[in-house]
Amino acid sequence: MTRAFDPITLEILWRRLISIVDEADAAVARTAFSSLLRDAHDYTCMFTDRRGRELAQGTLATPGQSGAMALGIKQLVQRLPAEGFRPGDVYVTNDPWALAGHLNDVCVLSPIFHHGRLCGFTACILHHADIGGRVASDNQDVFEEGLFIPLVKLYEAGTLNQSVLAMILANVRTPEQVNGDIRSQVAANHVCTAQVQRMLEEYGLEDLDALADEIIGRSEASLRAAIAKTPPGSYSAEGVIEQVEGEPDLRIRCAVTIQGSDIHIDLSGSSPQVRWGGNVVYNFTYAYVHMAVKSIFDPDLPNNDGAAMPIRLTAPEGTVVNCRFPAAVAARMQIGHFMTEIIYRALADALPARVVAAGGGTPATMQVMYGRRGDGRPFHAVMIRGGGLGASTARDGEGSFIFPANGANTPVEILESDAPLIVERRELLADSGGPGRQRGALGRREVIRLPDGDGAPQPPVQLALQSGRFRLPPEGLAGGKPGMRARFLVNGAPGNPYGLTQLKPGDRIVMDSAGGGGYGDPRRRERAAIERDLVQGKVSPEAAAREYGYDKAKEADDVTAR
Amino acid sequence: MRIGIDVGGTFTDFVLLDDASGRIETWKCLTTPRDPSDAIEEGIDALSKAVPGCVARLEEVIHGTTLVINAIIERKGAKTGLLTTRGFRDVLEIGREIRYAAYDAFAEFPEPLVPRERRLEANERVRADGEVIEPLDEAQAREAARALSAMQVQSVAVCLINAFENPAHEQALKRILAEECPGASVSISTEVLPQIREYERTSTTVANAYVKPLTERYLRRLAARLKGLGLRGRLFIMLSSGGVTSAEIAAEYPVRIIESGPTAAVIAGEYYSRLFNSPEMFCFDMGGTTAKSCLIQNGVAGVVPTFEVGRVQRFMKGSGLAIQVPVVDLMEIGAGGGSIARVSRLGTLQVGPQSAGAEPGPICYARGGAEPTVTDADLLLGYLDPDYFLGGAMSLDVAGARRGVEERIAGPLGVSYLDALWGIHDLINETMAAAAKTHIAERGGNPKALTVVAFGGAGPVHAYGLAKKLGAPRLVVPPNAGVGSALGFFTAPRAFDLARSHKTPFDDADFAALEELFRRLEAEGEATLRQAGAAGEIRFSRSVDARFIGQGSETTLPIAERDLRRLDAQTLRRRFDETYARLYGRTYPESPVEFVNFRVRASLPVQELELPQRETPKVARLADAKKGARSAYSARARDFVPHAVYDRYRLFPGAAFEGPAVVEERESTVILGEGARARIDARGFLWIDLPETSA
Repeated sequence: MTRAFDPITLEILWRRLISIVDEADAAVARTAFSSLLRDAHDYTCMFTDRRGRELAQGTLATPGQSGAMALGIKQLVQRLPAEGFRPGDVYVTNDPWALAGHLNDVCVLSPIFHHGRLCGFTACILHHADIGGRVASDNQDVFEEGLFIPLVKLYEAGTLNQSVLAMILANVRTPEQVNGDIRSQVAANHVCTAQVQRMLEEYGLEDLDALADEIIGRSEASLRAAIAKTPPGSYSAEGVIEQVEGEPDLRIRCAVTIQGSDIHIDLSGSSPQVRWGGNVVYNFTYAYVHMAVKSIFDPDLPNNDGAAMPIRLTAPEGTVVNCRFPAAVAARMQIGHFMTEIIYRALADALPARVVAAGGGTPATMQVMYGRRGDGRPFHAVMIRGGGLGASTARDGEGSFIFPANGANTPVEILESDAPLIVERRELLADSGGPGRQRGALGRREVIRLPDGDGAPQPPVQLALQSGRFRLPPEGLAGGKPGMRARFLVNGAPGNPYGLTQLKPGDRIVMDSAGGGGYGDPRRRERAAIERDLVQGKVSPEAAAREYGYDKAKEADDVTAR
Repeated sequence: MRIGIDVGGTFTDFVLLDDASGRIETWKCLTTPRDPSDAIEEGIDALSKAVPGCVARLEEVIHGTTLVINAIIERKGAKTGLLTTRGFRDVLEIGREIRYAAYDAFAEFPEPLVPRERRLEANERVRADGEVIEPLDEAQAREAARALSAMQVQSVAVCLINAFENPAHEQALKRILAEECPGASVSISTEVLPQIREYERTSTTVANAYVKPLTERYLRRLAARLKGLGLRGRLFIMLSSGGVTSAEIAAEYPVRIIESGPTAAVIAGEYYSRLFNSPEMFCFDMGGTTAKSCLIQNGVAGVVPTFEVGRVQRFMKGSGLAIQVPVVDLMEIGAGGGSIARVSRLGTLQVGPQSAGAEPGPICYARGGAEPTVTDADLLLGYLDPDYFLGGAMSLDVAGARRGVEERIAGPLGVSYLDALWGIHDLINETMAAAAKTHIAERGGNPKALTVVAFGGAGPVHAYGLAKKLGAPRLVVPPNAGVGSALGFFTAPRAFDLARSHKTPFDDADFAALEELFRRLEAEGEATLRQAGAAGEIRFSRSVDARFIGQGSETTLPIAERDLRRLDAQTLRRRFDETYARLYGRTYPESPVEFVNFRVRASLPVQELELPQRETPKVARLADAKKGARSAYSARARDFVPHAVYDRYRLFPGAAFEGPAVVEERESTVILGEGARARIDARGFLWIDLPETSA
């Protein structure tokens, strides 16, 4: 390989590239409306070389978007004829099959020109709060789910295509906000383009090709070196995911083959696609496969095309992990998030120190409650929440998180002032962590009451839940026991977690997130750790005796005997 | 006469100011971690020798301390308990549930300051609008208080849901705790800072409780020792928000002095910005381990409402404990003279954030450091004089440093020795510039109009390269850049910041009631300042934090009106849209906006400081200030070229020269590249104009 850059200049340029996308990212954070509605960082800026190979990506992106986008943009760019681009062109699309698997993720893509030559692309993908359609997870196909924008030019050589914009805005509920968000995405691309041009000028470079070879080559080599340390072989696991009541459980078959520095994930034999929104497009499946591989082998590696090179994914078309158009896809995270833990399970014996047991934060829980206040004003409260993290060889699972996705919960005090409801409890659940030599983290309970009388909402209040683990708990590893299952109760009786629930004033719902799976034989848990759990009330005396064989008196006798 | 005392991690710095003459004396000694007042006494003793009788003439002692932050980081605070609303004792542990490192399944998070067994609950509930929907069960609360007492807690935090809208239950619990848990200190959230978001407020109240007994003891002991030395003046403590307050108030709200130390540099920056009438200044303080910087716009540094302490991953946002107190908007990154250069896993150069610190330090300190650092590169590039480090007090091992760079960087990377050297210097500048650009952009600053002010040991060495990367046209280095930040102690106003959350949409707001809320905050602010001994007229500045309903964060609007009833919803909405559009480029007029927080800063006027003018000698010859020339690296020539070396102490007002040049003083060295033009102003400040670049 001829070296175009010495390793110092390379590092400076690489750092500059990452700081350019972070700057573009900050521009989106500051200007987009949708990104302000949630604390999750639900947008990603990135840019590629002229062949669509990703060079740098915003450092704060959620794994779902960042993994799907690197792949998606490359495919898009390679589909377009290179001579067709002109400076000032801006493309827009939200094709779930091309990008991140659902219509709300809208992508704005622009070519970067330098000295009149195409030298790369910059893209910004953002989760729009609204994209029209029927907002539910039980739609039959993608047409019900909202506006579908194929790859079209929003700007032609710098001139806005008013017709395209009008068509988009006419199909959404909040046109001003959608328009504002698209404009902030265009602005982010503009920041990227200008800064990349400035960098090329400053360092006397004509294009990004040689830089791309170095960055991608070194990243690939780093990930390969880590993979190559694993004993070669084929490892497999099967994931079983529960579905809407009455539907059979889904099976995800997963064979992981490691050969030298290559890793092949084969999902052949997985269940066929379903007739509700849980279908996952190939790119989104890939994103959480990528999350698993990267987190196991090289978690600090910057995201770029090189980090994808050693990974090959086989997911047969027509299965739930590579659904065919026009399947409904809006609830894709309910299935897609499981990819990471299934791969962890497959590799648990080969790489015990690098994986965690299944957790209650898979899949992420999203709960939406909407209706009208007593005075008729509408309200709409979105709650996301995690569950207990799984345990690992070295550590108890500690903390309630959304994993492998990411996001922040909404404070109780903000929720209560935004919507006519009372949160009665938000607390950890004793005994919900899967027993093990290392214990899974506790799941958590949230109790919400709709006030009666003063401050009561108008009936009905709608509650929609996207979640899982109600029947099948997060499994442990290496002899560890499963965490406690999730529960959904309405006025003390089990509710239907997969449908729309209608509530009235005075109703009380309980939503328990699942606990994390344990790791290793609970009978081998250190006595001091059991006693700490007892003192903290994370494990009850009964569970300590039952699950861990803890006998308080026995140890006391031993002490006396000594 | 006034004295500023800054107790840092390694050194305790003293600056004595004679307001009448403008004369400044400085002193530095090692910090005494077991009892920081030992070093304070030692330093004051030393200064009384230099300025006899100064202690008796001192009107004010202004103190900045890292005591509080260290107690939290090192977990040396009191055995603390927590009382919360029934159902919410785990809020402290659940937090906000976001993972700071998305791809890391093993990311660690800090342990809560109060373990689960000492987090108890009270039967009570207040609604979001402040109405009590479940009265406090006093008998049960007494039982909980007795349980905490039985656990022998030394301090108790109380944080109830929605208490900021109605503090009655917290007040009642405070009373009950005084009776049932005598001897324990109590912190209640509505007094610490009544702001919405229960996790952040609980975490803040708990941190306050955790450090309160220790801060009280320390400040009481310090006051007694100062009195013993003959001090008749008053003791003030630097607040993280940029004001100063009495030792009594600081002891009550210790969490407010969490960033007490570094704040002085920001206040000094504000002072320089006013002094030089410079609309945009970027203060840059680079020490051994970190670089701290802040943007000052029109003489004012920003204040941010939250802070994070005790990060498990030192420079990872989100890996620490949230503290919701006003703190000057300071950016800290892991870049300092001690930052270590290594070959990364990817085969490229990596500099920082790991630091060799003071021990073992850079290779050239010859104290056992084996890994090359930024200081080693600076030395080998000719920017530091091996025989004049710390004024010649410490000699440096040039050969060892050179070997280190050759063997550990140049060799493994396969680059020339020179490229390796310059690479270390340039890469740390790039790292700082990248962080600075984002920081400046997020605050709507313009690098092209920026004046960079450099402080700290390594600041002036790297300021030129940083300014160039930022595209800033100008750089200024105050005299005594090493202690320059301590001037901030003397220009900080006596001030106290208050806030209260009260969510209400603009359109439904009762402006008369809100005016009442502001007046209550002002009365409270006035009482706090008076309690701290303030005489004279107190000024109040008001602001509100507002947001689009449903938005995750707020935008601050200053309120100039002394009476809110003169305002109406439409006017306020127009101002919100203007501010929002200025900060974020656009606004959403159709989305409703609501008030979230009401803020008041109560302050006495800033005490302006008159820096003495330097006299120009009758025969002023630049040649007399020139110590000679030495070979130092030039990025433009890509080689060593002769640099003129000037003695900072012999440069006089009006002196002017051009780069490439080196200006040396005891604690630091300033580097100027080719084409830079330098001059000394009447107060001895070194001004450097950067040549215009094509980029």
